[in-house]
Amino acid sequence: MTISLSASALSLRRDPRMLKAPPYLSFACILIGLIWLLVLPLDEYSRRTYISENALLPGQVHTYFGGSEQHVFRAYKEEVAALSGKDTHEINNSIEEILKGFGVKVGRQSYTYGAAGGAHSGENVYGILQAPRGDATEAIVLVCPWKTIDGSENRVGVALSLTLARYFKRWSLWSKDIILLFPPEPKVGTQAWVDAYHDAHDPRHVSPLPLKSGALQGALAIDYPSDHHFSTLHIIYDGVNGQLPNLDLINAVGWIAGNQMGIPSFIQGQYAHQNSYQDRLKTMFRGMLSQGLGNVAGAHSSFIPYHVDAVTLQPWGMGHQDEMAMGRVIEGSFRSLNNLLEHLHQSFFFYLLMSRDRFVSIGTYLPSAMLLAANFTIMAIFLWVKSGQAPESEGDKSKEKTTALDTSNTVERDMLLPAAIVAGSHALGMIPLFIFNRLPGDVLPHAFAIFSGISIVLPLIVSHLLTSFYKPTVQQSQLTKSFSLLVLGLSLSTLATLNFSLSFIIGLLATPLSFVQPTKSQPLRWGFAALLSLIAPPTIAYTAAMAAGADVGDLLRDASFGWNVLGVYTPVAIWGVWWPAWTVGTVNVLGFAAA
Amino acid sequence: MRFPLSISSLLASSLLLSPASASSGYHEQLNLRPLPLSNLLASFNFRSNTSLADFESQNFRLFPRSLGQILQYAGTRELHLRFTLGRWDAENWGARPWDGTREGGTGVELWAWLDAETDEEADAKWLTLTNALSGLFCASLNFIDETRTIRPVVSFQAEGDHPNTTLANAKLLHGVLPHEVVCTENLTPFLKLLPCKGKAGIGSLLDGHKLFDASFQSMAIDVRPVCPSGGECLLEVEQTIDMVLDISRSKRPRDNLIPRPIQGHELVCDTSKSYHSDSVCFPVDHLQSQEWTLEQVFGKSIKGACPLTEPGVPPVCVEVPHSRSIFASEGSTEIKSQDSASRCYDVASEGDFNLVLTQLDASSGDKELVEPEQPLLYADRSFTGYGQEHGGVQAILTNPGDEEVEFVYMESLPWFMRVYLHTLSTRISAASSIPTTSAETSAEIIKEIYYRPALDRERGTQLELLLRIPPKSTVFLTYDFEKSILRYTEYPPDANRGFDVAAAVITTLSPRKMNIRTTSLLLYLPTPDFSMPYNVIIFTSTAIALSFGGLYNILVRQIVGADEGFESPVKSKLKRFLAVITRRLTG
Repeated sequence: MTISLSASALSLRRDPRMLKAPPYLSFACILIGLIWLLVLPLDEYSRRTYISENALLPGQVHTYFGGSEQHVFRAYKEEVAALSGKDTHEINNSIEEILKGFGVKVGRQSYTYGAAGGAHSGENVYGILQAPRGDATEAIVLVCPWKTIDGSENRVGVALSLTLARYFKRWSLWSKDIILLFPPEPKVGTQAWVDAYHDAHDPRHVSPLPLKSGALQGALAIDYPSDHHFSTLHIIYDGVNGQLPNLDLINAVGWIAGNQMGIPSFIQGQYAHQNSYQDRLKTMFRGMLSQGLGNVAGAHSSFIPYHVDAVTLQPWGMGHQDEMAMGRVIEGSFRSLNNLLEHLHQSFFFYLLMSRDRFVSIGTYLPSAMLLAANFTIMAIFLWVKSGQAPESEGDKSKEKTTALDTSNTVERDMLLPAAIVAGSHALGMIPLFIFNRLPGDVLPHAFAIFSGISIVLPLIVSHLLTSFYKPTVQQSQLTKSFSLLVLGLSLSTLATLNFSLSFIIGLLATPLSFVQPTKSQPLRWGFAALLSLIAPPTIAYTAAMAAGADVGDLLRDASFGWNVLGVYTPVAIWGVWWPAWTVGTVNVLGFAAA
Repeated sequence: MRFPLSISSLLASSLLLSPASASSGYHEQLNLRPLPLSNLLASFNFRSNTSLADFESQNFRLFPRSLGQILQYAGTRELHLRFTLGRWDAENWGARPWDGTREGGTGVELWAWLDAETDEEADAKWLTLTNALSGLFCASLNFIDETRTIRPVVSFQAEGDHPNTTLANAKLLHGVLPHEVVCTENLTPFLKLLPCKGKAGIGSLLDGHKLFDASFQSMAIDVRPVCPSGGECLLEVEQTIDMVLDISRSKRPRDNLIPRPIQGHELVCDTSKSYHSDSVCFPVDHLQSQEWTLEQVFGKSIKGACPLTEPGVPPVCVEVPHSRSIFASEGSTEIKSQDSASRCYDVASEGDFNLVLTQLDASSGDKELVEPEQPLLYADRSFTGYGQEHGGVQAILTNPGDEEVEFVYMESLPWFMRVYLHTLSTRISAASSIPTTSAETSAEIIKEIYYRPALDRERGTQLELLLRIPPKSTVFLTYDFEKSILRYTEYPPDANRGFDVAAAVITTLSPRKMNIRTTSLLLYLPTPDFSMPYNVIIFTSTAIALSFGGLYNILVRQIVGADEGFESPVKSKLKRFLAVITRRLTG
């Protein structure tokens, strides 16, 4: 069996068609990978969401929040409105006073982070509503930043949280402590608090928490600035580095809002979702983009790396739903989380959502990114095999084809120069990684402009030096490309399991690297170079910033902030994987002899 | 060590409660103490004595026979059993009732002195005892196996009057079940041990609905020999229930337990607010004193005094300032104490007994309740770190008083929490009045360490530390541990919940003896995914890796005869080098 298999395999490898196949195979991989992603929104490939954890029992309890609680809510709203524009310390004093008024234990925590030359400092205030019969082993968190994601004051949210806290205090059924967290703004404050809660904070910047409870089981953040009645609920779920909360949490909250309270919910800013193919695809792409960038989407994002499932709820649009309805959604969600016997683990952690109630799980979508990554690996293997063959002269072509792969035709590989080029470019990648995360914010756009220039010129210089001093051979060209693609394929397939979207996006942008090669035709060579400079990381960064309507400086500041404060690793993937691969590809086109 | 002092002080305090306890008989007392934020501490104490001679001849009268026979069969000299739920909020409620000596950690805690010559004999008797008590109290006490049993060295001292020879032959064992949920099925057997069975006397107030809705509740059973000076030795069984009730929660009628929002006009508002109106209300109801009656709070009234009690101990006492008026049912007599902070009531043997505590007028300036006493020590323990491999424990111990406190900190940890004792460290920080952190080292804070390391699947870690905290300072005690990976059959059905780690027990030695227990902890261990998808992914990845490796090898590797191939450059160089050397050596 084995012998016959190896015999047939041996005959297969002697077949010259084998050497022609890989580029086509590679192209097929890219094509299938793309099509694979595009068919996902179809009914046949995506599934309806469902609640996997039976303990959640969403919408099974009556919610009672309302009635005279509205009087209290109005009073707290007046209190909150009176604090508008005051400094964090004064705001926190007032929140602390109200919380202590109904017997909630209050702690404070100050923090200072430095990123992109600016300091982000503030003070969190939080209260622990101890479960009346609990034993401090578990807790759920209600996060209500003073500022919303858009930067306006989260007035209704804060007043609603205070009213809810007072209302929750009367119930004796809580099995978990309820922590009410009021950070001054959604990103840094929450991060500092969560870090300190898990003792992962840097004591030089973030002070420890004076009060703690048990293991966090879930968190909800409220983002509710507007005073008018709303119609739908926006559920924001992206975490840092593209990590996602358990799908059960999103489903449970969506279920409670939709089926119990009659408030439709939507995701990824797709307010008008018609459940058509286009809308599903658009939602999925938005989700992938936000996952790929890996930055904070809301106050909930910082919880997710610590395996605490969290979402942000954002009332949206004009309608007839009032604050009490929002309060009942939160009450219902907290009752569901309170029911949990175990940490949320049943449902999916890796998924792409097409709409609020359709998803694909990792088993279905992962192959598309893997196929993209495989295309690089196939080309790398192909080039490696090819580099081991003796170059065929014109006369050889007339020879019998079967001898093309004879052992007499194989040659030694000279690997020093290719390895040095690939290793060198990856080492160079550390320079932008370092400078863009260290420079102050106002210098960043200029530094990036200079770097973009260098990044374009660098391959020209290197290839000029190569051609004038080394006279690199065709084999060296093939090996350089082979090594570079091998590293790229390896990194992207690994990354795909951690952050599918990032891997897919980089993979897609790097696909031309598989096919460009040195040619004898000078115009074609410069054509390739032009094509490559179109897909260069700096070009993409500028294009993306323009498409998003933002300044490239904002983009860089966000990236630097993400790296320094939140631990986002997207810059490593860009400067450590993508940019070196691009540089080597360009050098390869310009600086090596054609086959 | 200053144990004799602490024991005598404890005995003194227990004798103080009931001066006649040194004789054979039965006493009961309910002590009500309003606490801040409209809470009420109700301490029930039931005490029956029997002479040792009667006990040994199995002549049970007031002493419960079911318990007595178990004790005799298992050779138990002294027994302490605790069922606890919730946590004591020391910041608001002050020092614990009975100085914490009548409470356990969350769940069930049991410790006993057993007559045994050897450890093996003690283990056998312990097994008997736990299994028998498990049946008697409907609790999973039989799950206290050797991995959950420790032998404390300094934390627990016998409370009874034992002759020195018996104590020398008795072994102390301590077991704890932090995950045990205390509920009604534990209360019923508890009440059955009482002479009046909850039909009369203060026991008639006990009701599962109210007890288990309490913010904190602890049921304790203590059996110990007491030898009054010059009298016959007695065996005393003391049953204690402490519960902290939220008055407004308890006052809800039984047919309407849901805390629905009240009518708008019933809200108590701060009328001084500028925005105050009929539909806008800043609530201030939590600050207000409440009127309550015994019947409202407990759902029923006392059904007359238990006829078996000996006279002399008033069954109901209330600790409120004398300025607050209390109305009692007819037929009872009020006895006011000298210190104007408490009063007691003698209950008539017939008819219901009820108490009414009136609402205090806020303008009168009278105190609503007796200020809670400041505890000797505040203790707070939590996990540090994250992830599934390592973790840490941090205990924050604060001494708020002006005296140095010396105490024993005891941990009984499960074996799968592998403690690194070398990481045990302490940090001290003084209160804000002294700005600089004093430079006291660990060695000055930790005076002694008793440590018995864990053995996998055989026994847990036992750690006892003798510590000392200077006045007005806080000590941070930290240590790290590693999480073990369990065998897949060792995980409970709710594997993703985590594992409960028992409360740490703190026993102060000076200035006076007191017990504090921290809350229990929930430890996450690396848990395999017991579901299918990941198994499938791992399996298919392995299969693909294996087949791909083989196929790729065949496709790419050149297969040539040993004599046909290229010689490896390293090998040829090595050969040349060896040839040179051999030539040099030979020629």
